[in-house]
Formats: sequence, C-alpha cells, structure tokens
Amino acid sequence: MTASPALCRAVLPDGAGELTVLARSRWPARPPAALPAIPGFIISSFSPLAAELAERCLRQHFGDPPADSERGRRTAIVLASMTGDIATAAAIASAVDHGRAVPPLLFYQSNPNAVAGHIAARWGLAGPVVCTIPAGHGLADAMDSATLLIEDSAADAALVVLADQGGPDGDSGVAMLVGPARWLAQPGSHRGKPRPSGISDE
Amino acid sequence: MADSRTAAPARVVITGMSATSAYGRGTEPLLAGALSGQPAFGPVGRFSVERRRATAAAELPGTPVLADELAAAIGGACDMAALGPAERRSATLLLALHTDAAAAREAGALSVAGSTPAAVAARSRLADAPRVYATACVAASTAIADAAAMIVSGRAGQVVVAAGYLVDEDSFALFDGGRVLARDGQVRPFSSGRQGLLLGDGVAAVVLESAAAARGRGVSPLARLAGWGRAGDAYHVCQPCPDGSGLSRAIGAAMRRAGVDPAGIGYVNANGSGTGYADSSEAAALHRALGAYAGEVPVSSTKSVHGHALEASALLEFVLTVLVLRAGCLPVNAGYLGPDDECRLNLVLGSAREARCRYALSLNAAFGGASTALLVAAA
Repeated sequence: MTASPALCRAVLPDGAGELTVLARSRWPARPPAALPAIPGFIISSFSPLAAELAERCLRQHFGDPPADSERGRRTAIVLASMTGDIATAAAIASAVDHGRAVPPLLFYQSNPNAVAGHIAARWGLAGPVVCTIPAGHGLADAMDSATLLIEDSAADAALVVLADQGGPDGDSGVAMLVGPARWLAQPGSHRGKPRPSGISDE
Repeated sequence: MADSRTAAPARVVITGMSATSAYGRGTEPLLAGALSGQPAFGPVGRFSVERRRATAAAELPGTPVLADELAAAIGGACDMAALGPAERRSATLLLALHTDAAAAREAGALSVAGSTPAAVAARSRLADAPRVYATACVAASTAIADAAAMIVSGRAGQVVVAAGYLVDEDSFALFDGGRVLARDGQVRPFSSGRQGLLLGDGVAAVVLESAAAARGRGVSPLARLAGWGRAGDAYHVCQPCPDGSGLSRAIGAAMRRAGVDPAGIGYVNANGSGTGYADSSEAAALHRALGAYAGEVPVSSTKSVHGHALEASALLEFVLTVLVLRAGCLPVNAGYLGPDDECRLNLVLGSAREARCRYALSLNAAFGGASTALLVAAA
C-alpha cells in the first residue's frame, strides 16, 4: 500500500512544505506472520493488529522503542477503523445476552484509545490521540485527520493506523508515519539516550 | 485555503447550540439542573441491573431514540444559528458517537445512531459527515478542535458538531464489569470517598463558524472558542499520568492560542469523572498548567449532576460551559463529602456561585492519555 501524494498534502506551520511519508507498514505481512499478543488484551485481534502495524512502521524510522524524545513528544496517533473492534463488541454483547458479568479486561480494551495508549506509552508518543470511524475512504480520511492536526500545530508528525478486522482476507491494515521531510534527512532513531522521566510542558 | 502565515487567524465563534440530558430536552433544563446542584441520578429504568454491582444512571424518561434525539439537537442548533437551507447544504457535520449495540449482534457494517454518518447528515440536510469520532471521553472535544482548525484554515465555513449517547445495557454492563461505576449512586468528583462515575444521557449539537461569517450573516455569537489544545501523555493504556502532564500540555496550548494567562480564567468545568486516580491526575494537571492560581480558580465537574455521556460528554459539558458564562453563575460540584489532599482545588460547593467570567475552560480526558482543553470566551 502506498499513499498518493494527494493524501499527504499539507501546509506545515513552519513553512517546511508538504508532509512526507517517513515509514509505512501493512498487514497481512510478507512473509506471513502471526500477530504477537499484547499482555492484558484478550479475545480480539484488533488491538494486536493495530499495535503490530505501529511497531513495524515506527521501527523503520525510530529503531528500537522508545522514539527519540523530542520527536516522540510531537508525534500524534490517528487510529482509524472502518469495522471497529468487532470481536470485543461481540464478546460484550454475548456476556450481556447470557446474563454474565463482563470480564474487566474487556472494559479496558473496549475503546480504541486503549491500544493507542499502549502504542503511545511503548514509543513515547505524546502528541494528541485521535480515533475515528471514517465514513468514506478509510486511509484518505485518516490522513485528513493527521494533516489537520499538523496544520493546526497540535503535532509535527502523526502515526496513522488503519486497522480493520474480519474482512474476506482476515484482518488487514496499513500504518504510516507522516511528518516533515527534514525528519528523513536526520535519522530519528533513539541514540542510546535514556528516556526522560517526564514529558516537558511546551 | 487561507494562508495562516500572512493573514490573521480567523476567530471561531459559537452561533447555535442545543442539548438534551436527563434533565430534559433543551439547554434551559440542563442549565437549571446544573445550577440546582440536584443530581439527575436514579435507579436504572431502561433495562435490568439485577446482576450488576451498580444500579444508578441519569436517564431521560421513556424510551428515547438516539437518531431522533440527534436530529432534533442538530435541528435546534442550526435553527438557533439561523442557518438557511443553502448554508446547511454546505456545512460539514462532525459526529461523536458510541457505536450501536445492534452492530455487535449482527454481521454487517458498523453503524452509529442506527444509521450511517452520511444518513445522519442527510436527515439534517447537511453536506456530509466525513467520519465519526470514537476517541472515548474526548471524542466530542476532539471534533470541536478539528472543527475550529477547519474554520481557521479556511477548509470550512460552518461546521456542525453533534454528539449523542443514551444509557444502554451493553455499556452499563461493560463499565460495571470494569468496576468503575459508583455503587453508592452518586458521582463525587475530587471528593474523599469518591467511588467512580455514573452514566448519563447526553445529546448535543453546536454550530461553529468564523466571526466574520457570523457577522456577514447578521448573527450574534453566543460565545467564542478562544483556544483549544489536545495532547497525549505516553503513559498507560487506560490511566492518566499521575503528574497530569498530558492534560497540562493541552491546557497550555489552549491558553497560548487564546493569549490568556491563568488569572484570566474565571471557571473550569473539569473532566472530574469521580474516579480516584483520574481526578487526582486532573488536579495535578491544573496545578502544573495554572500554577498557584489552580488553588483559586473556581472548579466544578458537572458530571456530578448529569453523569457521563461517554463520547458525547465533552459536547454536553462544552454547551454547559457556554451557558454558565452567559448566565454568570457557576454550577455546583455535587456529591462532595470532604477534602482529598491530592485534589486541592477551589471547588464550587453547596450552591451555585454568582460570577461574571470572561473565560472558562472545559476539560476532558480519556483512556490512552488523550486530553483536551477548550477555552471559551464570553461573546
């Protein structure tokens, strides 16, 4: 999956030109692979799918987690899904319909913010978190959301993840890290510095 | 698109709004209920809670239908803003909604309000609804910030932001299973002895546009959205960073955009969900962002009376914040039992407090560290 240039057009606040796709990933992976489980997330593949898309994308730009602290602080997460987390919703509905208590872990993973928080904490991404259900073209709309955040100076870059569950070919998705072109010229990998204990206020 | 580097940014104003809550339909019952300090919670009547730990919520009587309530709220806001048919046809609709319970039980497309976003827009004769915001408790405030960004960038003329949640069995069971509902039937933000949140019905809509556009149409703004900020905290799946750093950065961004110092803020409608760790993190965020003034500015969480409307909560609270500014009277932080050392704030306690404010903050925070701050200025 590649993003067309039209999907990345934005007037960056610092006049640095258009957004650039800094890294990308897709699922199903080639060669085929199984989704790694995430501790604390159960039943559904939705959150592992989103996390793995993010992992494969972010590693290309940042290397091992966490991200470079300055870039991480200004990187947003946009998590879009046309299907939502079907398996978690079905498990909740089943528990209700059969008069059972809903497992506490389902409460925590029931909203896409949860896996976005997992990605943010693991990678040190402290920009805004936005989760959407696009009405039209999923990736184009998610890129619109990211572009708006960056144009509005709420972030310098955005991890855009589109994750869909249970299509004809199973789980599928794409992830892109979009940001200023200058980030390509200067590697963003974590350079062995200890992660700061807090996020600065600016 | 306007060139933000050469032109002064547009001022974003609110020209129409509508709300429905457990207090009834319309903004007047909502304001009256909030100022009364009498919580709208009662035994859940919409479904059985026999097997649940908690038993209370804030519900409208009867069996309201979300799609109908949403259409009524959008219509009310557009009427108040005097949006004509042509203006409606070019207005974008940004929706913040919980997905339908029915969608979890039937194969097929994800649905919201029993419909698709496009159908919700078409019913209200609006141009389109490009997406639904699903960012939990900051879904609607994120939509407001996006609407403002769209107006400032020249992408949109008028934007309608609408949100809705009606207390439902799936969510109740889910939150009950997560043990975050208050078993004592009261929401007690920032108070000692707080047990958690309670769900509440909430449906709201607002019309945002540039001040110039409103002036050109001869419409007087209800208030101005002077600043907005959003941030994460890179901390945890579901708990906010105890130091409040994410929400603090959102507040700082909103104040910088508005050019307002802490002392200029006359009231804070806090997120205040009534849960232990979230309220203390929010208090820390206020101290971090406002400094010593955090102990002076009047604070209340209106979730203590109308409950938590999930994806719609931020819009209900935003509308209430505008109403409070216009009324010159601050709503009570209900359910208070006593001080908590980790929540040292100047809470509005006992009865509503008269205060003419120029600026008020509406704060929201959600799972994943998502935090928003909306800074409202009196018209």
